[in-house]
Amino acid sequence: MSAVATDRTRRETAGRRLRRAALDGAAVPVMAVLGLAAFWLFPNDLGLMTRIAATALYVLSLDLVLGFGGIATLGQAAMFGTGAYAAGIAAVNLVDEPITLLAIGGVAGGLIALVTGALILHARGLTLLMLTIAVVQIVQEVANKARDWTGGSDGLSGIDPAPVLGLFRFDLYGRTSYLFALAVLIVGYLVARRIVRSPFGLACRGVKEDPLRVAALGGSPKRYLVALYAVAGVFAGVAGALTAVTSGIVGLDSASFSWSAEALVMLVLGGTGRLYGAVIGTVAFMTIHHILASSDPFHWMLFIGLFLMAIVLFAPGGITSVLNGAGIERVFHRMKGGRA
Amino acid sequence: MTTALLEVEGLSKNFGGLQVSSDITLDLKAGDRCALIGPNGAGKTTFVNLVTGVLAPTAGTIRLEGQDVTTLSAEARVRRGLIRSFQVARLFRSMTVREHLELAVLERERKTFRLFASVRRMPGLADEVAGLLDAMGLTAAADTPVGTLAYGQQRLLEIALALALKPKVLILDEPAAGVPHSESHRILDALDRLPADLAVLMIEHDMDLVFRFARRIIVLAQGRLLCSGTAQEIAADPRVRDVYLGSRAHVQA
Repeated sequence: MSAVATDRTRRETAGRRLRRAALDGAAVPVMAVLGLAAFWLFPNDLGLMTRIAATALYVLSLDLVLGFGGIATLGQAAMFGTGAYAAGIAAVNLVDEPITLLAIGGVAGGLIALVTGALILHARGLTLLMLTIAVVQIVQEVANKARDWTGGSDGLSGIDPAPVLGLFRFDLYGRTSYLFALAVLIVGYLVARRIVRSPFGLACRGVKEDPLRVAALGGSPKRYLVALYAVAGVFAGVAGALTAVTSGIVGLDSASFSWSAEALVMLVLGGTGRLYGAVIGTVAFMTIHHILASSDPFHWMLFIGLFLMAIVLFAPGGITSVLNGAGIERVFHRMKGGRA
Repeated sequence: MTTALLEVEGLSKNFGGLQVSSDITLDLKAGDRCALIGPNGAGKTTFVNLVTGVLAPTAGTIRLEGQDVTTLSAEARVRRGLIRSFQVARLFRSMTVREHLELAVLERERKTFRLFASVRRMPGLADEVAGLLDAMGLTAAADTPVGTLAYGQQRLLEIALALALKPKVLILDEPAAGVPHSESHRILDALDRLPADLAVLMIEHDMDLVFRFARRIIVLAQGRLLCSGTAQEIAADPRVRDVYLGSRAHVQA
Protein backbone atom coordinates (compact mmCIF):
# COMPACT_ATOMS: atom_id res chain seq x y z
CA MET A 1 0.00 0.00 0.00
CA SER A 2 2.75 2.37 0.94
CA ALA A 3 4.60 1.35 -2.21
CA VAL A 4 1.60 2.46 -4.26
CA ALA A 5 1.51 5.76 -2.43
CA THR A 6 5.21 6.39 -2.99
CA ASP A 7 4.79 5.51 -6.63
CA ARG A 8 1.97 8.03 -6.94
CA THR A 9 3.86 10.82 -5.23
CA ARG A 10 6.84 10.04 -7.41
CA ARG A 11 4.68 10.31 -10.54
CA GLU A 12 3.19 13.56 -9.30
CA THR A 13 6.56 15.12 -8.55
CA ALA A 14 7.80 13.92 -11.95
CA GLY A 15 4.82 15.62 -13.62
CA ARG A 16 5.42 18.78 -11.68
CA ARG A 17 9.10 18.76 -12.58
CA LEU A 18 8.22 18.33 -16.25
CA ARG A 19 5.87 21.33 -16.09
CA ARG A 20 8.55 23.30 -14.31
CA ALA A 21 11.16 22.39 -16.92
CA ALA A 22 8.72 23.42 -19.67
CA LEU A 23 8.16 26.79 -17.96
CA ASP A 24 11.90 27.17 -17.58
CA GLY A 25 12.57 26.59 -21.27
CA ALA A 26 9.63 28.68 -22.43
CA ALA A 27 10.48 31.66 -20.21
CA VAL A 28 12.69 33.57 -22.65
CA PRO A 29 10.60 33.16 -25.83
CA VAL A 30 7.43 33.98 -23.86
CA MET A 31 9.07 37.04 -22.34
CA ALA A 32 10.22 38.25 -25.75
CA VAL A 33 6.87 37.64 -27.48
CA LEU A 34 4.74 39.16 -24.71
CA GLY A 35 7.17 42.05 -24.33
CA LEU A 36 6.98 42.86 -28.04
CA ALA A 37 3.20 42.32 -28.13
CA ALA A 38 2.83 44.80 -25.27
CA PHE A 39 4.92 47.25 -27.29
CA TRP A 40 2.26 47.25 -30.05
CA LEU A 41 -0.78 46.88 -27.79
CA PHE A 42 -0.07 49.56 -25.18
CA PRO A 43 1.81 52.36 -26.96
CA ASN A 44 0.64 54.82 -24.31
CA ASP A 45 2.09 52.88 -21.39
CA LEU A 46 5.66 52.56 -22.60
CA GLY A 47 6.99 54.55 -19.64
CA LEU A 48 5.39 52.17 -17.14
CA MET A 49 6.48 49.13 -19.12
CA THR A 50 10.06 50.39 -19.24
CA ARG A 51 10.05 50.74 -15.47
CA ILE A 52 8.61 47.23 -15.16
CA ALA A 53 11.40 45.74 -17.30
CA ALA A 54 14.15 47.49 -15.34
CA THR A 55 12.50 46.57 -12.03
CA ALA A 56 12.19 42.94 -13.13
CA LEU A 57 15.96 42.84 -13.56
CA TYR A 58 16.32 44.30 -10.07
CA VAL A 59 13.95 41.71 -8.55
CA LEU A 60 15.84 39.04 -10.50
CA SER A 61 18.99 40.09 -8.63
CA LEU A 62 17.14 39.61 -5.36
CA ASP A 63 16.06 36.14 -6.47
CA LEU A 64 19.70 35.21 -7.07
CA VAL A 65 20.53 36.25 -3.52
CA LEU A 66 17.45 34.96 -1.71
CA GLY A 67 16.14 32.18 -3.93
CA PHE A 68 19.49 30.57 -4.71
CA GLY A 69 21.64 31.56 -1.73
CA GLY A 70 19.06 31.85 1.04
CA ILE A 71 20.42 35.27 2.02
CA ALA A 72 17.60 37.18 3.71
CA THR A 73 18.03 40.83 2.75
CA LEU A 74 16.11 44.06 2.96
CA GLY A 75 18.97 46.04 1.48
CA GLN A 76 19.07 45.10 -2.20
CA ALA A 77 18.30 48.74 -3.11
CA ALA A 78 21.79 49.66 -1.86
CA MET A 79 23.17 48.00 -4.99
CA PHE A 80 20.37 49.28 -7.24
CA GLY A 81 20.84 52.85 -5.98
CA THR A 82 24.62 52.73 -6.20
CA GLY A 83 24.38 51.49 -9.78
CA ALA A 84 21.82 54.19 -10.64
CA TYR A 85 23.89 57.00 -9.13
CA ALA A 86 27.16 55.71 -10.62
CA ALA A 87 25.61 55.61 -14.09
CA GLY A 88 23.88 58.95 -13.55
CA ILE A 89 27.03 60.74 -12.35
CA ALA A 90 29.04 59.19 -15.19
CA ALA A 91 26.40 60.28 -17.70
CA VAL A 92 26.45 63.87 -16.45
CA ASN A 93 30.25 64.16 -16.22
CA LEU A 94 31.99 61.57 -18.38
CA VAL A 95 30.30 59.45 -21.03
CA ASP A 96 26.91 59.22 -22.65
CA GLU A 97 27.11 55.82 -24.35
CA PRO A 98 24.22 53.83 -22.80
CA ILE A 99 25.82 50.37 -22.73
CA THR A 100 28.97 51.80 -21.13
CA LEU A 101 26.70 53.44 -18.53
CA LEU A 102 25.09 50.08 -17.75
CA ALA A 103 28.55 48.56 -17.34
CA ILE A 104 29.53 51.37 -14.95
CA GLY A 105 26.36 50.76 -12.93
CA GLY A 106 27.04 47.01 -12.85
CA VAL A 107 30.63 47.45 -11.66
CA ALA A 108 29.52 49.93 -8.98
CA GLY A 109 26.71 47.64 -7.76
CA GLY A 110 29.04 44.64 -7.75
CA LEU A 111 31.77 46.47 -5.82
CA ILE A 112 29.48 47.80 -3.11
CA ALA A 113 27.97 44.33 -2.74
CA LEU A 114 31.42 42.72 -2.56
CA VAL A 115 32.64 45.10 0.14
CA THR A 116 29.49 45.16 2.28
CA GLY A 117 28.88 41.44 1.71
CA ALA A 118 32.36 40.54 2.98
CA LEU A 119 31.60 42.60 6.09
CA ILE A 120 28.09 41.38 6.93
CA LEU A 121 27.64 37.87 5.49
CA HIS A 122 29.11 36.08 8.51
CA ALA A 123 25.73 36.82 10.11
CA ARG A 124 22.54 34.94 9.30
CA GLY A 125 18.80 35.31 9.80
CA LEU A 126 17.50 38.36 11.64
CA THR A 127 20.96 39.78 12.40
CA LEU A 128 21.81 39.72 8.71
CA LEU A 129 18.45 41.31 7.89
CA MET A 130 19.23 44.21 10.25
CA LEU A 131 22.71 44.64 8.77
CA THR A 132 21.37 44.79 5.20
CA ILE A 133 18.93 47.49 6.30
CA ALA A 134 21.82 49.40 7.87
CA VAL A 135 23.79 49.22 4.62
CA VAL A 136 20.94 50.59 2.48
CA GLN A 137 20.34 53.40 5.00
CA ILE A 138 24.02 54.34 4.93
CA VAL A 139 24.12 54.36 1.12
CA GLN A 140 21.02 56.55 1.04
CA GLU A 141 22.46 58.97 3.58
CA VAL A 142 25.74 59.22 1.68
CA ALA A 143 23.77 60.00 -1.49
CA ASN A 144 21.78 62.58 0.44
CA LYS A 145 24.88 64.31 1.84
CA ALA A 146 26.92 64.26 -1.38
CA ARG A 147 24.69 66.94 -2.92
CA ASP A 148 27.34 68.21 -5.33
CA TRP A 149 27.48 64.84 -7.04
CA THR A 150 23.99 63.42 -6.54
CA GLY A 151 21.75 66.46 -6.26
CA GLY A 152 20.71 65.26 -2.78
CA SER A 153 16.97 65.30 -2.17
CA ASP A 154 16.36 67.17 -5.44
CA GLY A 155 17.57 64.11 -7.32
CA LEU A 156 20.13 63.80 -10.08
CA SER A 157 18.92 65.05 -13.44
CA GLY A 158 20.44 65.97 -16.76
CA ILE A 159 21.17 62.39 -17.82
CA ASP A 160 21.06 62.51 -21.59
CA PRO A 161 22.36 59.26 -23.09
CA ALA A 162 23.58 58.95 -26.68
CA PRO A 163 21.75 56.67 -29.13
CA VAL A 164 21.94 52.94 -28.36
CA LEU A 165 24.78 51.41 -30.43
CA GLY A 166 25.01 54.80 -32.11
CA LEU A 167 21.82 53.94 -34.05
CA PHE A 168 18.69 54.18 -31.92
CA ARG A 169 18.00 57.61 -30.49
CA PHE A 170 16.04 57.82 -27.20
CA ASP A 171 12.75 59.30 -28.43
CA LEU A 172 10.06 61.31 -26.68
CA TYR A 173 7.55 58.44 -26.74
CA GLY A 174 9.89 56.07 -24.93
CA ARG A 175 9.95 53.48 -27.72
CA THR A 176 13.74 53.10 -27.69
CA SER A 177 13.76 53.14 -23.90
CA TYR A 178 11.29 50.28 -23.71
CA LEU A 179 12.91 48.07 -26.33
CA PHE A 180 16.33 48.74 -24.83
CA ALA A 181 15.08 47.83 -21.33
CA LEU A 182 13.36 44.69 -22.64
CA ALA A 183 16.54 43.61 -24.43
CA VAL A 184 18.67 44.19 -21.33
CA LEU A 185 16.17 42.25 -19.20
CA ILE A 186 16.25 39.27 -21.56
CA VAL A 187 20.05 39.26 -21.78
CA GLY A 188 20.23 39.60 -17.97
CA TYR A 189 17.80 36.71 -17.57
CA LEU A 190 19.85 34.48 -19.85
CA VAL A 191 23.05 35.30 -17.97
CA ALA A 192 21.34 34.67 -14.61
CA ARG A 193 20.03 31.32 -15.85
CA ARG A 194 23.49 30.37 -17.01
CA ILE A 195 24.92 31.18 -13.56
CA VAL A 196 22.17 29.26 -11.78
CA ARG A 197 22.95 26.15 -13.84
CA SER A 198 26.71 26.47 -13.34
CA PRO A 199 28.83 24.64 -10.75
CA PHE A 200 28.76 27.89 -8.77
CA GLY A 201 24.95 27.93 -8.80
CA LEU A 202 24.86 24.33 -7.62
CA ALA A 203 27.22 25.13 -4.74
CA CYS A 204 25.10 28.13 -3.73
CA ARG A 205 21.96 25.99 -3.60
CA GLY A 206 23.88 23.66 -1.32
CA VAL A 207 24.85 26.53 0.96
CA LYS A 208 21.22 27.65 1.07
CA GLU A 209 20.12 24.26 2.37
CA ASP A 210 22.98 23.39 4.73
CA PRO A 211 26.19 25.45 4.92
CA LEU A 212 27.88 22.98 7.26
CA ARG A 213 27.31 20.13 4.85
CA VAL A 214 28.96 22.18 2.10
CA ALA A 215 31.93 22.74 4.41
CA ALA A 216 32.07 18.96 4.92
CA LEU A 217 32.41 18.63 1.14
CA GLY A 218 35.37 21.01 1.23
CA GLY A 219 33.68 24.27 0.21
CA SER A 220 33.73 27.55 2.10
CA PRO A 221 30.10 28.66 2.58
CA LYS A 222 30.99 32.31 3.23
CA ARG A 223 33.03 32.62 0.05
CA TYR A 224 30.10 31.36 -1.99
CA LEU A 225 27.71 33.74 -0.28
CA VAL A 226 29.95 36.79 -0.75
CA ALA A 227 30.57 35.90 -4.40
CA LEU A 228 26.85 35.38 -5.00
CA TYR A 229 26.02 38.65 -3.25
CA ALA A 230 28.54 40.46 -5.48
CA VAL A 231 27.22 38.80 -8.65
CA ALA A 232 23.66 39.76 -7.72
CA GLY A 233 24.99 43.25 -6.93
CA VAL A 234 26.13 43.52 -10.57
CA PHE A 235 22.60 42.67 -11.74
CA ALA A 236 21.05 45.18 -9.32
CA GLY A 237 23.58 47.82 -10.38
CA VAL A 238 22.79 47.27 -14.06
CA ALA A 239 19.06 47.50 -13.24
CA GLY A 240 19.67 50.80 -11.43
CA ALA A 241 21.72 52.13 -14.34
CA LEU A 242 19.01 51.00 -16.76
CA THR A 243 16.43 52.95 -14.77
CA ALA A 244 18.72 56.02 -14.75
CA VAL A 245 19.41 55.82 -18.50
CA THR A 246 15.79 55.27 -19.53
CA SER A 247 14.15 57.71 -17.11
CA GLY A 248 16.85 60.40 -17.14
CA ILE A 249 16.70 60.97 -13.38
CA VAL A 250 17.91 59.30 -10.17
CA GLY A 251 16.23 60.02 -6.84
CA LEU A 252 17.07 59.15 -3.24
CA ASP A 253 14.22 56.62 -3.20
CA SER A 254 16.27 54.38 -5.53
CA ALA A 255 18.50 53.55 -2.54
CA SER A 256 15.76 53.30 0.07
CA PHE A 257 14.64 50.69 2.53
CA SER A 258 11.14 50.75 1.07
CA TRP A 259 12.42 50.05 -2.44
CA SER A 260 14.29 47.04 -1.01
CA ALA A 261 11.14 45.82 0.72
CA GLU A 262 9.06 46.32 -2.41
CA ALA A 263 11.46 44.08 -4.34
CA LEU A 264 10.95 41.40 -1.70
CA VAL A 265 7.16 41.72 -2.00
CA MET A 266 7.35 41.36 -5.80
CA LEU A 267 9.63 38.34 -5.53
CA VAL A 268 7.47 36.55 -2.96
CA LEU A 269 4.43 37.33 -5.09
CA GLY A 270 6.02 35.68 -8.12
CA GLY A 271 7.79 32.87 -6.28
CA THR A 272 11.43 32.54 -5.23
CA GLY A 273 14.16 30.37 -6.64
CA ARG A 274 12.92 30.15 -10.21
CA LEU A 275 14.10 33.37 -11.91
CA TYR A 276 10.92 33.65 -14.00
CA GLY A 277 9.05 34.08 -10.72
CA ALA A 278 10.88 37.39 -10.28
CA VAL A 279 9.70 38.61 -13.70
CA ILE A 280 6.11 37.40 -13.23
CA GLY A 281 5.94 38.91 -9.73
CA THR A 282 7.21 42.28 -10.93
CA VAL A 283 4.81 42.44 -13.87
CA ALA A 284 1.86 41.42 -11.67
CA PHE A 285 2.67 43.79 -8.80
CA MET A 286 3.43 46.85 -10.89
CA THR A 287 0.48 46.33 -13.24
CA ILE A 288 -1.98 45.89 -10.38
CA HIS A 289 -0.35 48.82 -8.59
CA HIS A 290 -0.80 50.97 -11.70
CA ILE A 291 -4.42 49.98 -12.37
CA LEU A 292 -5.55 50.31 -8.75
CA ALA A 293 -3.68 53.54 -8.11
CA SER A 294 -5.29 55.21 -11.13
CA SER A 295 -8.81 53.87 -10.52
CA ASP A 296 -8.94 54.44 -6.76
CA PRO A 297 -6.17 56.78 -5.61
CA PHE A 298 -7.30 56.62 -1.96
CA HIS A 299 -7.71 52.91 -1.24
CA TRP A 300 -5.33 51.17 -3.66
CA MET A 301 -2.89 50.21 -0.90
CA LEU A 302 -5.68 48.27 0.80
CA PHE A 303 -6.39 46.25 -2.32
CA ILE A 304 -2.72 45.51 -2.87
CA GLY A 305 -2.58 44.25 0.71
CA LEU A 306 -5.64 42.02 0.25
CA PHE A 307 -4.20 40.62 -2.96
CA LEU A 308 -0.92 39.77 -1.24
CA MET A 309 -2.76 38.07 1.61
CA ALA A 310 -4.71 35.97 -0.86
CA ILE A 311 -1.51 34.87 -2.56
CA VAL A 312 0.18 33.98 0.72
CA LEU A 313 -2.89 32.00 1.89
CA PHE A 314 -3.73 30.11 -1.27
CA ALA A 315 -0.43 29.92 -3.14
CA PRO A 316 2.38 30.27 -0.63
CA GLY A 317 4.89 29.46 -3.35
CA GLY A 318 3.82 32.53 -5.33
CA ILE A 319 2.11 32.89 -8.69
CA THR A 320 4.56 30.51 -10.36
CA SER A 321 3.64 27.70 -7.98
CA VAL A 322 0.08 27.96 -9.35
CA LEU A 323 1.49 27.73 -12.89
CA ASN A 324 3.51 24.70 -11.81
CA GLY A 325 0.36 23.07 -10.49
CA ALA A 326 1.47 22.84 -6.87
CA GLY A 327 -0.81 25.61 -5.64
CA ILE A 328 -3.85 24.29 -7.48
CA GLU A 329 -3.31 20.78 -6.11
CA ARG A 330 -3.07 22.23 -2.62
CA VAL A 331 -6.32 24.18 -2.98
CA PHE A 332 -8.16 21.12 -4.37
CA HIS A 333 -6.77 19.02 -1.58
CA ARG A 334 -8.05 21.51 0.96
CA MET A 335 -11.48 21.65 -0.69
CA LYS A 336 -11.76 17.87 -0.48
CA GLY A 337 -11.22 18.23 3.24
CA GLY A 338 -7.70 16.89 3.36
CA ARG A 339 -4.84 18.54 5.12
CA ALA A 340 -2.50 20.48 2.89
CA MET B 1 56.70 0.27 8.26
CA THR B 2 54.06 2.37 6.56
CA THR B 3 53.61 5.83 8.00
CA ALA B 4 50.28 6.61 9.57
CA LEU B 5 47.81 8.61 7.47
CA LEU B 6 46.10 10.02 10.52
CA GLU B 7 47.84 10.49 13.86
CA VAL B 8 46.00 11.76 16.89
CA GLU B 9 48.13 12.54 19.91
CA GLY B 10 47.02 13.48 23.42
CA LEU B 11 43.73 14.94 22.17
CA SER B 12 41.63 16.55 24.93
CA LYS B 13 38.52 18.70 25.00
CA ASN B 14 36.94 20.43 27.98
CA PHE B 15 33.58 22.14 27.97
CA GLY B 16 34.08 24.39 30.97
CA GLY B 17 34.86 21.99 33.80
CA LEU B 18 33.52 18.98 31.93
CA GLN B 19 36.17 16.85 30.30
CA VAL B 20 34.53 15.11 27.32
CA SER B 21 37.72 13.88 25.68
CA SER B 22 40.92 13.31 27.56
CA ASP B 23 44.31 12.35 26.23
CA ILE B 24 43.20 10.27 23.26
CA THR B 25 46.03 8.89 21.13
CA LEU B 26 45.55 6.71 18.08
CA ASP B 27 46.69 6.35 14.50
CA LEU B 28 45.29 5.03 11.25
CA LYS B 29 47.37 3.56 8.45
CA ALA B 30 46.50 3.04 4.81
CA GLY B 31 44.11 0.10 4.50
CA ASP B 32 43.04 0.20 8.16
CA ARG B 33 39.50 -0.86 8.96
CA CYS B 34 39.02 0.40 12.45
CA ALA B 35 35.91 0.80 14.61
CA LEU B 36 35.43 3.16 17.51
CA ILE B 37 32.86 1.92 19.99
CA GLY B 38 31.72 2.90 23.42
CA PRO B 39 28.54 3.40 25.44
CA ASN B 40 26.35 6.48 25.00
CA GLY B 41 28.05 9.61 26.24
CA ALA B 42 31.54 8.13 25.84
CA GLY B 43 32.52 11.11 23.67
CA LYS B 44 32.57 9.41 20.27
CA THR B 45 30.84 12.22 18.40
CA THR B 46 33.00 14.84 20.16
CA PHE B 47 36.04 12.90 19.03
CA VAL B 48 34.83 12.95 15.42
CA ASN B 49 34.14 16.67 15.66
CA LEU B 50 37.63 17.30 17.03
CA VAL B 51 39.36 15.27 14.34
CA THR B 52 37.34 16.80 11.49
CA GLY B 53 37.79 20.36 12.75
CA VAL B 54 34.22 21.18 13.76
CA LEU B 55 35.47 21.69 17.34
CA ALA B 56 38.86 23.05 18.43
CA PRO B 57 40.67 20.80 20.93
CA THR B 58 41.82 22.07 24.32
CA ALA B 59 45.08 20.15 23.95
CA GLY B 60 46.74 17.68 21.60
CA THR B 61 47.72 17.48 17.95
CA ILE B 62 46.20 15.96 14.83
CA ARG B 63 48.46 15.09 11.90
CA LEU B 64 47.35 14.11 8.43
CA GLU B 65 50.04 12.42 6.34
CA GLY B 66 52.60 13.73 8.79
CA GLN B 67 51.45 17.35 8.59
CA ASP B 68 49.96 19.13 11.56
CA VAL B 69 46.35 20.05 10.75
CA THR B 70 45.23 20.85 14.31
CA THR B 71 44.52 24.51 13.52
CA LEU B 72 43.12 24.05 10.02
CA SER B 73 39.44 24.66 9.29
CA ALA B 74 37.05 21.78 8.62
CA GLU B 75 36.95 22.53 4.89
CA ALA B 76 40.75 22.72 4.64
CA ARG B 77 40.98 19.25 6.19
CA VAL B 78 38.41 17.94 3.72
CA ARG B 79 40.52 19.29 0.86
CA ARG B 80 43.47 17.31 2.23
CA GLY B 81 41.50 14.09 2.14
CA LEU B 82 40.02 13.79 5.64
CA ILE B 83 36.37 13.08 4.93
CA ARG B 84 33.46 12.25 7.19
CA SER B 85 29.92 11.05 6.78
CA PHE B 86 27.20 12.14 9.16
CA GLN B 87 25.35 10.19 11.84
CA VAL B 88 21.99 11.62 10.79
CA ALA B 89 21.90 11.86 7.00
CA ARG B 90 22.69 15.51 6.36
CA LEU B 91 21.74 16.10 2.79
CA PHE B 92 20.31 18.92 0.68
CA ARG B 93 16.64 17.97 0.73
CA SER B 94 15.49 19.70 -2.45
CA MET B 95 18.44 18.56 -4.54
CA THR B 96 18.47 15.30 -6.47
CA VAL B 97 20.85 12.42 -5.80
CA ARG B 98 22.71 13.25 -9.00
CA GLU B 99 23.10 16.91 -8.01
CA HIS B 100 24.62 15.88 -4.67
CA LEU B 101 27.29 13.79 -6.36
CA GLU B 102 27.94 16.45 -9.00
CA LEU B 103 28.53 19.00 -6.27
CA ALA B 104 30.87 16.68 -4.36
CA VAL B 105 32.97 15.93 -7.47
CA LEU B 106 33.09 19.61 -8.44
CA GLU B 107 34.16 20.53 -4.90
CA ARG B 108 36.94 17.96 -5.04
CA GLU B 109 38.17 19.36 -8.35
CA ARG B 110 37.74 22.95 -7.07
CA LYS B 111 35.64 23.92 -10.03
CA THR B 112 32.78 25.45 -8.08
CA PHE B 113 33.74 29.03 -8.87
CA ARG B 114 33.02 28.56 -12.56
CA LEU B 115 30.09 30.89 -13.03
CA PHE B 116 29.42 30.44 -16.71
CA ALA B 117 30.11 26.76 -17.25
CA SER B 118 27.19 24.37 -17.47
CA VAL B 119 27.14 21.56 -14.91
CA ARG B 120 25.66 19.26 -17.53
CA ARG B 121 28.54 19.88 -19.91
CA MET B 122 31.49 19.64 -17.51
CA PRO B 123 33.92 17.18 -19.13
CA GLY B 124 34.01 13.80 -17.43
CA LEU B 125 31.56 14.78 -14.70
CA ALA B 126 28.54 12.84 -15.95
CA ASP B 127 30.60 9.64 -16.35
CA GLU B 128 32.12 9.86 -12.90
CA VAL B 129 28.74 10.53 -11.29
CA ALA B 130 27.22 7.61 -13.22
CA GLY B 131 30.00 5.39 -11.88
CA LEU B 132 29.33 6.45 -8.29
CA LEU B 133 25.58 5.97 -8.70
CA ASP B 134 26.17 2.51 -10.09
CA ALA B 135 28.60 1.53 -7.33
CA MET B 136 26.05 2.40 -4.64
CA GLY B 137 23.02 1.00 -6.50
CA LEU B 138 21.45 4.45 -6.70
CA THR B 139 21.13 4.72 -10.49
CA ALA B 140 17.34 4.28 -10.47
CA ALA B 141 16.97 7.04 -7.87
CA ALA B 142 19.39 9.45 -9.56
CA ASP B 143 16.84 12.16 -10.36
CA THR B 144 14.75 11.86 -7.20
CA PRO B 145 14.91 14.79 -4.79
CA VAL B 146 16.63 13.50 -1.67
CA GLY B 147 13.76 14.63 0.56
CA THR B 148 11.55 11.86 -0.89
CA LEU B 149 14.23 9.14 -0.81
CA ALA B 150 13.98 6.10 1.48
CA TYR B 151 16.20 6.40 4.54
CA GLY B 152 18.46 3.48 3.62
CA GLN B 153 19.12 5.09 0.25
CA GLN B 154 19.97 8.37 1.97
CA ARG B 155 22.60 6.50 4.00
CA LEU B 156 24.04 5.00 0.81
CA LEU B 157 24.18 8.49 -0.68
CA GLU B 158 26.09 9.69 2.39
CA ILE B 159 28.73 7.03 1.67
CA ALA B 160 28.70 7.84 -2.06
CA LEU B 161 29.27 11.54 -1.27
CA ALA B 162 32.26 10.68 0.90
CA LEU B 163 33.68 8.48 -1.86
CA ALA B 164 33.15 11.18 -4.49
CA LEU B 165 35.63 13.31 -2.53
CA LYS B 166 38.32 10.60 -3.00
CA PRO B 167 39.24 10.44 0.69
CA LYS B 168 42.51 9.25 2.17
CA VAL B 169 41.00 8.95 5.63
CA LEU B 170 37.28 8.27 5.92
CA ILE B 171 35.35 8.68 9.16
CA LEU B 172 31.94 7.04 9.10
CA ASP B 173 29.71 8.26 11.92
CA GLU B 174 27.16 5.48 12.46
CA PRO B 175 26.68 4.62 8.77
CA ALA B 176 23.80 2.24 9.54
CA ALA B 177 21.97 4.38 12.11
CA GLY B 178 18.23 4.34 11.50
CA VAL B 179 18.47 1.65 8.83
CA PRO B 180 16.28 -1.40 9.50
CA HIS B 181 18.37 -4.44 10.46
CA SER B 182 17.09 -6.31 7.42
CA GLU B 183 18.68 -3.70 5.16
CA SER B 184 21.95 -3.07 6.95
CA HIS B 185 23.64 -5.69 4.72
CA ARG B 186 23.31 -3.21 1.85
CA ILE B 187 25.35 -0.70 3.83
CA LEU B 188 27.89 -3.38 4.66
CA ASP B 189 28.12 -4.41 0.99
CA ALA B 190 28.83 -0.79 0.13
CA LEU B 191 31.49 -0.59 2.84
CA ASP B 192 33.13 -3.79 1.57
CA ARG B 193 33.65 -2.13 -1.78
CA LEU B 194 35.55 0.86 -0.38
CA PRO B 195 39.00 1.33 -1.97
CA ALA B 196 41.48 -0.99 -0.25
CA ASP B 197 44.15 1.64 0.50
CA LEU B 198 41.69 3.87 2.34
CA ALA B 199 42.03 4.29 6.10
CA VAL B 200 38.56 3.94 7.60
CA LEU B 201 37.40 4.73 11.11
CA MET B 202 33.82 3.73 11.80
CA ILE B 203 31.77 4.80 14.78
CA GLU B 204 28.95 2.35 15.23
CA HIS B 205 26.54 0.86 17.76
CA ASP B 206 25.52 -2.15 15.71
CA MET B 207 27.98 -4.80 16.96
CA ASP B 208 27.21 -7.19 14.09
CA LEU B 209 28.36 -4.54 11.68
CA VAL B 210 31.41 -3.66 13.80
CA PHE B 211 32.58 -7.26 14.13
CA ARG B 212 32.07 -7.97 10.44
CA PHE B 213 33.75 -4.78 9.21
CA ALA B 214 36.53 -3.85 11.61
CA ARG B 215 39.92 -5.53 11.90
CA ARG B 216 40.76 -3.37 14.91
CA ILE B 217 38.36 -2.07 17.53
CA ILE B 218 38.98 0.86 19.84
CA VAL B 219 36.83 1.30 22.94
CA LEU B 220 36.10 4.73 24.31
CA ALA B 221 34.56 5.24 27.76
CA GLN B 222 34.00 8.51 29.59
CA GLY B 223 36.17 10.40 27.11
CA ARG B 224 39.16 8.08 27.56
CA LEU B 225 40.64 5.34 25.43
CA LEU B 226 39.86 2.14 27.35
CA CYS B 227 41.55 -0.42 25.14
CA SER B 228 42.02 -1.50 21.57
CA GLY B 229 42.45 -4.84 19.82
CA THR B 230 40.93 -7.36 17.43
CA ALA B 231 37.30 -8.37 17.64
CA GLN B 232 38.09 -11.47 19.74
CA GLU B 233 40.29 -9.54 22.14
CA ILE B 234 37.63 -6.89 22.65
CA ALA B 235 34.83 -9.43 23.06
CA ALA B 236 36.86 -11.22 25.71
CA ASP B 237 38.02 -8.12 27.58
CA PRO B 238 36.30 -7.92 30.98
CA ARG B 239 36.70 -4.12 31.14
CA VAL B 240 34.66 -3.71 27.96
CA ARG B 241 31.94 -5.90 29.36
CA ASP B 242 31.94 -3.83 32.54
CA VAL B 243 31.57 -0.57 30.66
CA TYR B 244 28.74 -1.88 28.51
CA LEU B 245 26.94 -4.02 31.06
CA GLY B 246 27.44 -1.41 33.73
CA SER B 247 25.91 1.33 31.67
CA ARG B 248 23.20 -0.92 30.26
CA ALA B 249 22.23 -2.12 33.74
CA HIS B 250 22.13 1.49 34.78
CA VAL B 251 19.83 2.41 31.90
CA GLN B 252 17.48 -0.46 32.58
CA ALA B 253 17.33 0.14 36.33
